[in-house]
This record gives sequence, C-alpha cells and structure tokens, in this order.
Amino acid sequence: MIGEDAEAPGPGHVLALPPGMERGTLTRLRPTARPWAETSWLAVGVITVVMLGLPWALTRVDGGNYITHLIITFFVWGIVAQCWNLIMGVSGIYSFGQLALFQVGAFTTGVLSFAVGLNPWGSIWAAPIVAVIAALVIGLPTLRLRGIYVVLLTLAFHELLRNWITTGPQWISGGGYGLVRVPKLGFEAVLGPQYEKVFYYYTGLVFFGLATYAIWRILNSPIGLAFTALRDSEDYATSRGVDPFRFKLFLFAFSAFFTGLAGGFSAHYNGSASTSLFDFGVMINLLVMIVLGGWGTFAGPIVGTAILTFLTELLRAFDLYRILALGIAMAVIAVAAPEGLVPLCTRAFHRLFDVFFEPDEPPARETADQPNPETRSTPRDG
Amino acid sequence: MAIPDALDRLLQALYSGVLNGSVYGLMAIGLTLIWGSLRMLNLAHGALYIAGAYVAYGVLALGLPVPLTFGVAVGGAALIGLVVQVVLITPILENPGRDSASLIATLAASIVVQSAILLLFGGQTKQLPPLIDGGFTIGTTLISYQGLVVVGAAVVCLLLMSVFLHVSRRGLAIRAISQNMDAAKLMGIPIVPTFVVVMVTSAGLAGLAGVLLGSILFFTPSGGFTPMLMAMVVTIFGGLGSVTGTIWAAYIIGLMESFLAVYVGASWALPGIFLFMIVMLVIRPNGLFGLGEARRL
Repeated sequence: MIGEDAEAPGPGHVLALPPGMERGTLTRLRPTARPWAETSWLAVGVITVVMLGLPWALTRVDGGNYITHLIITFFVWGIVAQCWNLIMGVSGIYSFGQLALFQVGAFTTGVLSFAVGLNPWGSIWAAPIVAVIAALVIGLPTLRLRGIYVVLLTLAFHELLRNWITTGPQWISGGGYGLVRVPKLGFEAVLGPQYEKVFYYYTGLVFFGLATYAIWRILNSPIGLAFTALRDSEDYATSRGVDPFRFKLFLFAFSAFFTGLAGGFSAHYNGSASTSLFDFGVMINLLVMIVLGGWGTFAGPIVGTAILTFLTELLRAFDLYRILALGIAMAVIAVAAPEGLVPLCTRAFHRLFDVFFEPDEPPARETADQPNPETRSTPRDG
Repeated sequence: MAIPDALDRLLQALYSGVLNGSVYGLMAIGLTLIWGSLRMLNLAHGALYIAGAYVAYGVLALGLPVPLTFGVAVGGAALIGLVVQVVLITPILENPGRDSASLIATLAASIVVQSAILLLFGGQTKQLPPLIDGGFTIGTTLISYQGLVVVGAAVVCLLLMSVFLHVSRRGLAIRAISQNMDAAKLMGIPIVPTFVVVMVTSAGLAGLAGVLLGSILFFTPSGGFTPMLMAMVVTIFGGLGSVTGTIWAAYIIGLMESFLAVYVGASWALPGIFLFMIVMLVIRPNGLFGLGEARRL
C-alpha cells in the first residue's frame, strides 16, 4: 500500500492498483485520461437529434435558408480551425500553412471536376489526399526546425502557392480569380432545389462530426499526451522517448487530411475555388477563432468559430470596423486571458455555482489507495 | 551613353539588388534585435514599416518640408512601437506561455495598425515625393538620386547601429541580455526599459525603411507583408540575432533577388529565394553567421 499520496499525479496519469484491487487488470486509467467513459450519452443524443432535425425545421422558417448557409459555413471553418488548433495550440508548431492546405484541397477537386471533368463525388476525395501529400512535402524540411523558421517557411509556402495559383495556367488560375464554375454535388436533383442546402448541411455535418470525433480521440490518446508533452517541454519529452519529428509529421498530415476535405467540400458547396481566400484577412479570421475560443483546448476552436461566423453576419453593417475589432479582441485576449474564452468561462462557472452544487465528480486527487469516495479525506481544491 | 547589353543588365541587377538589400537590412536589423534580446518574433514589423510611410503621407498634407516630414514619420513609427511594447509586450513578459502570447499580441498589433491605416487613408495606392528629385541613366538603367539616398541612409544607419551596440551603455546592455538574460538581470541591467529601447529603435528603423522606399515604390495598407517576409528570410539567413550577419545577408539576399529577376524571370525571384532558404536551413541550420546560443549580436 502506498502512503497518503506522495505526489498528486497529473491528468492522464496511469496508476497501479494495490494488490487485491485489480479486478483482472493491472492498471487503470484515471478518469481524466479516458473522457470517453465519462461522456454523457444523453447530451450527445440530444445534440445529434437537434443537429439532424435542424435543417428541416429551418426550411419552414423565414430566412431559414440563410441560417442553414451560415451553419454550413460554420462546419467548413470549424474543421479548419480545429485542425489548425491541433497544430498551433496543441503541439506548438507555429505553422501558418493551414489556409494554403485548405486551398490545395479546394483547387484539387476544383481542377479535377471542372477542368478534367471527373464526378465531384469522386474528385472530392482527391482533395484530402493531395493536401496530405502537400503537407508531407512542407513538413519534411520544416518540422525539424522550430519557432521563427517554421513561421517563415509556412508563410513562404502560402505566398508561393498564392503566387502560383493566381499567375498559373488558365485551367487552374481561371484568369487570376480562381475557378468560378466548380460543379456542385448534384443535390438539387434529389428533392428539388429548395431542399438542396439540407443535403449540403448533412454532408457538412458528417465531415464536421468525423473531424471533431477524430480530433477528440487524438487529443485523448497517448498521441495527444505526446503532443502536450512536446509543447510543454520538447527536451524532456524527447528524453522520455517521444520522437518530435515523427509525431509532428503525423499530426501535420492528419490535420491536412481534414483541412483538405473541408476545402474540397467548400469548393463544391460554393461552386467556386476562389483565390481571394488566400487573403491575409481570412487567415486572421481563422486565427482569431482559435485564440478567442481557447488556444490548445478541444472546445475552444469550435466555440470560437461559432462566435465569429454568426457575429460577422450580425455586424455586417460595421464591416469596415470588423477587422479592427478583431485585432483589438485578439490583443485583449493575448494580454488579459491568454487561454481563451472557453477555459475562462468554465472556471467562472465553477467558481459561481460550485457553492450551490455539491460536486458529484470524484475529487481531482483521488488515488488508487482511496478507491471509496466516502472515505476520501482530501478536500476538493478550488 | 551606349554600353553593351550584357553590362546593362548586370548594372540593372546590381542597382536594384543594392537598393533591395539596403531596405531589407533596415527591416531585418530591427527583427534581429528583437529576436536576439526579447526572444520573440515581431509580426508587427511589417505594419510598422508601412505605418512609417503613411505617417509621412499624412504629415505631408500639413505642408512641412520633406526632410522634416520624414523625421516625423520615423518618430511616428517609433511611437507606435513604444505603445505596442508598453501595452502589449511588457505585461506578458513574465507569462509562462510567452512564445504563443507574444506571437498573437504582435499579430494583433499588426492587424490594428493596418486596419486603422485602411480606415484613415483608404485602400488606394499612394506614393511619397522623393527627398531629392531626378536621377541619371547609365545605358537603360535609371538611377534616381532618391535610390542613392536610400542606400546611403541605410548604410549610415546600419553602421550607427553597430557602433551603438558595441560602444554605448544601452547597446552593451542589449547585447548582454541577448547573451544571457538571467545573468544580465543579476548584474543589475534593467530588463524592461532595455526592451523598450530595443522595440523603439527597431520600430524607428522599420519606419525609416517604409519612408525611404515609399518614395520609390507605391504602397498600400497591407504592403508591409512581403518586406517583412523578406526581412525574416534575411534574419534567418544571417543567423538569428547576429547583426553583422544580418547586414551581409541583407545585401546577399537583395542581390540574389534582383539577379534572379533579371536573368531568370521576375516570377522566379521569390520561389528561388525560398528554395535557397530551405536548402540552406538543411545544410546550415544556424544561418550564414549563426553562432548558436553562446554568442549573439
């Protein structure tokens, strides 16, 4: 039996159980290390039902079509923001190439379906594959370096790609503006054009759900722990046997896959692959989504994307001041709340309401030799 | 004057290369100072560059003489740098997540400055009047006096910078901090004021580059991005934090860009330099004059 726990294990710590407590297994993951076991299936079920029913409800509402469009936009940028957050926030690679990878996906499927004439449903799958290849090509020289080198090389990749696509041959540049007649996915034929957006909504939802689930599992897997370790102290993580280069390359390719998919989907949904998406403003918008919601957290980029997507529409009248406001918001967050809104609000919520509710979760310091919650002696911290 | 075609092209490449190199040098020296001492990438550097040009453009309407206007513009850029440093950077100096926070803070500063410029002046291209009008031609290359002013001013500033860093007390403090911040702190060097000096100097130099180039090229509110990218290339090529290396690298990169543009084609200049960059980082990860962690500046 270990004494009154010598050292509070961090989240994700694996504890050995004392003899007699094994129940057939030698080790047990702490609750924080296996969040899937704690998922409230009721909440997931409710969200799923609402998300599935929402577009049909919106077709009955005035202006609902437009809201559906906003939600689809949210799906697209939500995927990209989550992927970028995985690179920037979780593993600390200061890569500015995510938007370029998005464009790789958009132009790949755009060229294949428009210029080559493939079926959009086939060519959309080329988008993530080419994006992954592009990510490996950038990643191989870049990811062995750090900090400013990565910023420079990824920005350079962005600039080069923009340069090449805007000045390239007609079948890719479309004369400088991009491809303006990318075939759509053909949903208007199913139930008529008024229900077209509903199907795009479902396609977007599937892609968004896939990406979110995959990222959630990655974050809570040993791979996710390795990334956190690499971000917090690369030297220490390396000395414990984490190969930074291989993990970073894997992460780069992984996030490129979904980013490219989002790019491909967006190209077919909008019917165009536009060179104006290379603009610095788009990149800043994405970055603010991540920073506002919570840099390096799971829910942060999703919340940030939702806020920005809908706020941009509400503030359309003040569009001139939008970028200025984004910049100021970013500066305030960087100085006053560097971890972002989601952790800030969660903590504020706990501070406000923990007085009224007895916490029903096990205390953070529960250890293996105190298996029974009734006998715990350590007070809940905070 | 009639000169052979080959010589003409060579002259063209040399002139624009030296001109580019001078501006890159002014930009990059600021970046490298900040990187060396504060250990942070200043993404607002391009915005400070363009702010210099726009302050000059705004002040010009007041009817001041052109040299005074240029002085005001450099002061304006330095003032913006001071505000950025005091409001955004100083509060986060002690934060644990300083790397990402400073990256976001400087990017935010660059967005605010750029969009403020856009709101004040609009998005049309602008140009400043030259300090000295006119020029002369050799072959087909037009060499403007303003170009020579740019080169001269850059060389003088870079030399002054070098003297400042090696002779003055403040300069020695900057070098000490960049070599070992903890030791410098223990020796009683005031860290925060020194950082302010670094930021103001580098912002002033960026503003000067903007003003000088603003009378040769047209500029727009977002025009600071490419010069900043090139300055980053120069900074890295010269070895992060090495001033001598940065000055050499500025002229090498400037010349390489113009030679590629003249002899291979204008659209190959940027890709060529980036390719070169990648190859060099693989062979010499610390840059041309990179001294590793032990000796900086």
